[in-house]
Formats: sequence, C-alpha cells, structure tokens
Amino acid sequence: MDEVKCFIPKSLDEALRIRKEFHAKPLAGGSDLMVSYYKGIGIAPVFPFPVMIISNLSDELGTIRKEDDGVHIGALSTPNEIASSMVVPYPVRKAASLMGAPSLRNTATIGGNIGNASPKGDLPQPLILLDAEVVLRSVDGERRMKVDDFILGSKKTALADDEIITGIVIPEVKATHYFYHKIGMRRANAISKLSLSALFDVEDGVVVDFRASSGAAGPKVRRSRDAEEILIGLKLDEVSGKTGEFLSAWNSILSPHAMPEYRRASTRRMLLGFIEEVASGALPGNYE
Amino acid sequence: MARISIDDDVRRNDAIEKASGLARYASDYFFPDMLYARMLRSKAPRGKIRKIQTPVLPYGYYFISAKDIPENGRNALHMISEDWRCFADGDVRYVGETIGLFVGPERSVLESLERNTYVEIEEEEPAISIDDAINVKGGPILEKDDVFCQLYCQKGRDMDEVFGEADKIIEETFETGFQEHVHLETNGAVITKEGEKYVLYISCQCPFYVRKSISIVIGAKDEDIVVRQSTTGGAFGGKEHFPDVLAGPLLVAEYVIGKPIKLIFDRREDMLYSVKRHPSKIWYKSAIKDGKLTGVKGKIYYNAGAYLSSSYVVLQRGVFHANGVYDIPSTYLEGFGMATNTFPSCAFRGFGAPQTLFAIEMHLTHIARRIGVDPVEFKRSMFLKKGSETVTNGHIVENVVLGSMLDDIATASDYWRKSREYGYGSGRGIGMSFYNHGGAFTGNGEQAIIKAHARLKKTGERVTIEVGSTEMGQGFQTTLRKIAAAVLEIPMENVDYPNPDTSVVPDSGPTAASRSTMIVGRLIERCAVEMKERWGEGDFSVEKEYEHPDGHPWDQSTFRGDAYLGYGWGACCVELEVDKRTNEVKVVGIWSSHDIGKAIDEKIVHGQINGGIIQSLGYASMEKMENKNGHFRQESMSDYVIPTSMDFPKQEYFLEDNPYEWGPFGAKGMGELVFNGADAAYVDALERALGVETFKIPLPSEDIEEALRKNGR
Repeated sequence: MDEVKCFIPKSLDEALRIRKEFHAKPLAGGSDLMVSYYKGIGIAPVFPFPVMIISNLSDELGTIRKEDDGVHIGALSTPNEIASSMVVPYPVRKAASLMGAPSLRNTATIGGNIGNASPKGDLPQPLILLDAEVVLRSVDGERRMKVDDFILGSKKTALADDEIITGIVIPEVKATHYFYHKIGMRRANAISKLSLSALFDVEDGVVVDFRASSGAAGPKVRRSRDAEEILIGLKLDEVSGKTGEFLSAWNSILSPHAMPEYRRASTRRMLLGFIEEVASGALPGNYE
Repeated sequence: MARISIDDDVRRNDAIEKASGLARYASDYFFPDMLYARMLRSKAPRGKIRKIQTPVLPYGYYFISAKDIPENGRNALHMISEDWRCFADGDVRYVGETIGLFVGPERSVLESLERNTYVEIEEEEPAISIDDAINVKGGPILEKDDVFCQLYCQKGRDMDEVFGEADKIIEETFETGFQEHVHLETNGAVITKEGEKYVLYISCQCPFYVRKSISIVIGAKDEDIVVRQSTTGGAFGGKEHFPDVLAGPLLVAEYVIGKPIKLIFDRREDMLYSVKRHPSKIWYKSAIKDGKLTGVKGKIYYNAGAYLSSSYVVLQRGVFHANGVYDIPSTYLEGFGMATNTFPSCAFRGFGAPQTLFAIEMHLTHIARRIGVDPVEFKRSMFLKKGSETVTNGHIVENVVLGSMLDDIATASDYWRKSREYGYGSGRGIGMSFYNHGGAFTGNGEQAIIKAHARLKKTGERVTIEVGSTEMGQGFQTTLRKIAAAVLEIPMENVDYPNPDTSVVPDSGPTAASRSTMIVGRLIERCAVEMKERWGEGDFSVEKEYEHPDGHPWDQSTFRGDAYLGYGWGACCVELEVDKRTNEVKVVGIWSSHDIGKAIDEKIVHGQINGGIIQSLGYASMEKMENKNGHFRQESMSDYVIPTSMDFPKQEYFLEDNPYEWGPFGAKGMGELVFNGADAAYVDALERALGVETFKIPLPSEDIEEALRKNGR
C-alpha cells in the first residue's frame, strides 16, 4: 500500500527542523490539501510528499496583533479570527468574512490560503492591495517579501523547500475610502468568480493615494501601480476627466483569456462606480 | 399522551433521530465479512467496447460484468420498459454507463483497480443536445432516428383556421437546462443474503420498483428478493428509478460472490453519474385576435438521454401541462422524447411539468407585454374554471380558486402599485406566475397499473401502518401517522410506521407523482375508519385496495379524457433588484398561495413550500449543469451550486382551504406543485428589472450580461 510520511511537530522549532530535513509540506486546516487529494469515501488521501500537521502550533503562529510596522497576522489565524479582528483593515476582514461556510472559516488558515496560491483564493487579493508582506522562516533565519512577489502564478510560490510561512504583515495604510466586492455563484459559501478591492486616500480634496486589485482575474492577482498613478495627485474634481484613461490602462493589464467579457465588464463598472462616488464627494467609509 | 386531531401542531416523528445522528442510512449498515464495490464506468459517450483489461486481481477481489449474468437472466433493468442495461455489453451509450463492478474488502484497492483498468473504446460521434438528436447527429441511436417517444393532443378548432383569423401571431422558443437533484444523502445500497433470499438495504423512494426492476437480471422471482428501504436522506425523484442502476449490478455480484456487499456513491459520483432533470426546448406559436389569445400550437422536445427510463411518462406530463392554468380555446400540442448520448434523464420533482409551465408562463408574459396589457391581468382573464375543457378533452372537476389566490398575493406584495411604478429596465421588478400540478399518476396509471394496497395492523393498543410508501424527508411518516391517529382518535405515539420491507408490506405504489397523501393517505384513512368501528375485536388487520372515483374517463391509446384526478394550484410573486454593475440579483420578496385541498400538517406543508420555491428559484437562477461531449462539466457542490439560506428572503405563504372530495381530510398532492412556478415569477420580475426578454434558464449573472448585450444594452 502507498504510505504517507506524516509528522506532528510540537513546536515551531521542531517544525522547521522537519521542514529542513524532509521538506514536509505543512498541513494546517486541511481545507485545500485534503480536498485536492481526496480519493473517495473510506479511502485515506495519499499525498505524494511528506506532510506535517501544524494545526497545534497556534500559540506560536495564531495571533493577530498591531505592532509598529503594521498588523501581524499569524499564519494559523482562521478567516473567522481575521474577520472579527478590528485591527485588520477592512478589505481583508471583509474578504475573510465571505470565505466558504462557517465550518471552513473556522478551519482554513491565512497561511494556507497564501501558500496554496489558488487564483481564486480570497485573501491574497486584498493583501496585495495593501502591499502586505509574507514572513518566511527557516532554521537559518527569517525573510520577508511582498505577497505580490511571493505568489508567482497559479499554485506557484517563492517558498523555499526549507521554509514555512509564519505570518503576514500588513503595513499601516492610510485610506479614507475602501471598496471590496466579491462575486460568487451565490451569496454565501461560494468560490470567487471575481473579486475587487480598491482604496482612496483623499486629503483636502486631493487624491493622495489610490489603489485597485482584482482577484480571480488570471493566474495572479492584478494590480498596476502605473495605472493607479493616473489618478494619484489629482484634485477630486479632476478625477472624472481621467477615469477613462485609468480604466483603459487597467483593462490592458487584465488577461483576456482569464477574464471573459462578463467579469471584465463587471470589474470596469464596479471601479467606475466607486471612483465616481468618491469623486463626487462620498463620505469616508467602507463601500461594497 | 393525548389523542390527536388533524389540525394539531405535532413534531415530526423523525426529527430527533435525524438531528441526533441516530437514523441509519445505507452507509451505516455493516455486516461480518462485508465487501465493498466500486463501479467501472464508460468514459466515452458512444462507441464500441474493444477491450477491457483489468489489472491482476488480488486474492479476494472480483470483477463483475455482463458475462456474470446467469443464463436465465437478462441484461436489463425493468423500469417502465426494459431498455436500460444492467451492464454495458459490446458498446457504450453514455459517459458513466456501468461497465463492471469491482468488489473486494479494501476501498483503496478498489480505487486503484478501477484507475488502472484499461478500457479500449472505438468512439463514435455522439448526439448530445436536443438539436443533435433532431439532426440525427452521428447516425440514428434508435432504429431509424433519435425519437424515443412522441404524442400529440388537440383541443378546439383547426389551427390553420385559427391562425388565419388572427390579427397577431407570436412565435417563441424557450430552453431549460439540466438540473441535478443534490439530495443530502448520495445514492447507496448494501446487499446480503438471508437463507435463499437476496436482501437489499437501499436508499430509495420505491422499494417495489427496485424489486421488480432487478429480479429479471438473475432470472429470480420477485419474492426471492427482499428490499428494505434504509432511511433515505432526500430524493426529489432522483431515487425513483435510479437506485435500480446500483441494485442490478449488486445483485449480480451477490449472486456470484455470496457475501454482503456495499456500494456508496460519493458526491462527485452522484453529481457526474446520476440521472438529471430533462433539458427542454419548447416552441410556441400563438394566435391573438382582438387582444385575446385564440389558439396555441406547441412543439415540446425533452432530452431523454441514452435510455428511455421514465421519459415517455415525463413527456406526457409535460404535454398535458403545456397550456398552463389557462383555458385556451384551441390548442395543438406535440411532444417528442429525444434519445441522446447523455446520462439518461429521469424523474425530478415536477416530472416534466415544470418545463412546459415555465415556457407557457413566459410566453404569455411576453404576449401581454407586446399587446400592452399587464401580464397578470392578461393571464387572469384565461384562468381554467370548474368544467373547463383540458388539452386532453377532459374537464376540470374541482372548484378553481386561482382568482382569490391571485388577490391574496397581489395584496400582500402590493403587486399592482409596484407593477405600475417600477419602470421596464429600472433595475427593480416584480413578477407573478400561476401553475398547477395534476395529482397522482397520469391517465389511468392508478387504476390500471398500480392498483395500490395499504394495510393497518392492530396489536393491543398499538397500530402499525403497512405500506410501500417511503419517508424521504418530505414528512410522509408523520403525515400518514397523523391521518391514522386522527381517524382512530388515538395518540400519534401509538402508531408505528417503520421503513417498508417488501416481504412484509403490501405494494402501495411508488412514492412519486405527489400521490402519497392523496392516494395512500386516503387508503389508510379508509382502513382506519373500518378499524375504528371494529376496535373492540382484539388484534386484526384491515387492508384496502385503491378505488377509482367515478367520472374520470381516460383512453390511454389516444390520450383523451381526464389526465388527472384533480390538480393542486399555485400562484407565486417574486420581487427583486438587479445590481447594474455586476448583474447580481437580489430577491427582496417572495409571496405564494397554494390550493392543496387541505394541509394535513401545516408545518410540513410550509417546509415543502419553502423548499420547493427555493429549488425552483435555484433552477431559474444559478443551477447550471453543462454537458460537453457527453461529460457533465460540474462535478462538485462548489461548481454546481444550489441556493443557501442567504440567497433568498423569508417567504410569505397563503393556503386555500378547498377540500378535495377523494383525498384524506380533503387533501391533494403538493410535493411537486410547489416547485412548478416560482421560476417564471422570478424571470418575469428579472425581465422587468432589466428591460429585456429572455428565453432560457438558468440565468446566472454571465447569461444576464449576454442577454443585455444581445439587446444592445
């Protein structure tokens, strides 16, 4: 019979040693791995690689706290914990609150959602909007990189074979208006067909910052600082004159293969709606 | 323990055992030395089998196929006809067709055997869609074409004359898609032997159907096979005939191996390899004169899939409901059941009626709008009444109270104001639909084919209900116990109704066709009336046979007469808003009124209404099952989605009190009725919100985008 090498480390240090020696893949909530390798009723999944179950390391990897450099979210934090933490910025909280059903929101983890790198993953999209970084640790030390750089493509990441994702850091972001919208095939418990985040920071009638990111839009979350720059620095009453230019620039970064007309058009209309609302003096707050 | 009266509020007898996990489903049965089974299925929609090469079977493992059917057996499942084979032999006709069964002690080994088996198939061009079948793509599936079955019926005057006199003619074609049942419990069965008898524990609606269907496979007598229904977690018609497709191969395996064998589908198998609702293509051509509808001609095509199964009966129901709830002076309706190389279509709540009811509702809605009348006003002027002639030249025998049902929901929803005020294309819409469902079997089925029996047995102060009807989540064990207890004037706790065992209970017919309460409930009511009179006689049983009410002539050869004994009636109103950025639809109100004669248990009836309407809204909006080259593209509950409680709002219900002469306490069937119409109310509201006409369901956001684009928006 096929056998799976499986470890259950008792501490992060032990997990890092196992990772180094056996390159065991961390299994936290199991909500991706157990589904991917499901073979049928009454049949244990057979993983073609060693695994380590790290779900009992939440003392070390499960906290959410605000520090000087931003909000730190432990890799084992669940969507429910993220959704109910007021230190987490709105688009991430909102995205977490709309993931799956309650059981999944108590089982899945942010580390898994990023490590799995599914183009339909819910959390990478708002994290990339906020320039969040992923914290990677090995027995040799720790490094950080932007989530946008960490996710290389569909199911591909820059994770080294001796590294574990230990957490996420969301740097402090100044924003007056946030937007988050997810379209699934139904209102709850749905995989994302399309998701969109955007933010404005408006000071004294001037756009100080503007960002937008689009999920389920191709192998990677789409964001373009060049396109965003088109609106940055404008006075609010100049924004609508430049919206067309922004939208064409934005449209050009979307992959036509991954974004059939409906998704492309919906993204465009949502962005247009949000930009027009803010440009016409909408109150600061969260929009969807 | 109090005596019960029929209007008491009771708790379902299965509530606690199901909520607490005590209920035993097929997968909960275990026997010593029990083996497991796994199906080897066709991966091609059509072709000749050239070679089947299994890996070397480890000790204790078996591969069972058509070659194992004994000489006195037949490779056929006896559903309504005998065309569906137990095992594919020589050729395959749809993706998922059973080629063989691997049997053995370890399920992981069975999985590996199945995965490593090589089946060489010389593929032929398949016919997948109704259009493929009309064009006989890939050559005829049947002898000369791809038409399994057809029928027509005619009412009123010659259609050429009617169209000749018309001042307006409107022609439209509607399409509806596949629908998957998504019952909570997947299909499953366990077979074993007790002495010389084969015993099946199976999740099913119709234990006697299973017995009849599979006995011929090994040339056994019906009595040699005992079917015991295991507690069944949902069905919706998907477990009317389909359990035979598990039971047949299992019986052959049991015949060869002689040990207990269990076969349980997982969700993926249940999605990809089980029957679906018939996709349809429905063409209507209508004559209008002086603002009145004078005649409708219709052609109705249903995709039956690779085997006939129940499709001819489904098609008949579709044709007989193709006029909706309207007295249209002249109709000529033709129906065609098309053979294709898709998984066979079979029973699904509504049984052919929902497709035509949807199409005629939308067609009349479009006509009304084009002639400038409110659709509800237009439809109201044509409601069937007592004595109206049906499309099969029979008559409506009951009082029809659709008018007051309409008034109830129009008032509750504020329909007239909203219909006037919400602009066409404004993003908001309100719509209404009307529908019915003929109770019990079509035509002469009840008296000529089923001849149902039911029995009550008294032992001391306790009474046992002995019927072949099954509980499948619809609440029938509670409903029937309530009927018996209320007539006998005893506590419900004193009435037992175990899951049926074909070696114990009489055949009361299938649990299908919304016939259980109306037909079997009536039989138990009659048994109970007699038992009450003889209560002092000690222990005894009372058995009754179905008696057909007088005055329902029917000719099955010409399809003329009263197609149904009576109808349930429904009206539904849906209000919604469309997000113009994303085409996401938010339903903000649902109102319905139903005439089911009398509710035996209002809580159960509300459960049925709530579920039926939501299921119909799912059918109209999100439940999209596509078939590419014979393969279903949706294989899990995350890509084939059904509504959650977050998708639709709380409903407001009305029930008409309109007792039915031949039903228990005046009750008629209702399980299917409540599925039959919310889809059309939804699409009516959606078209008003969008300002465009649509012609197919389902309509997820992408398809709304396409409809808008086609209309230049």
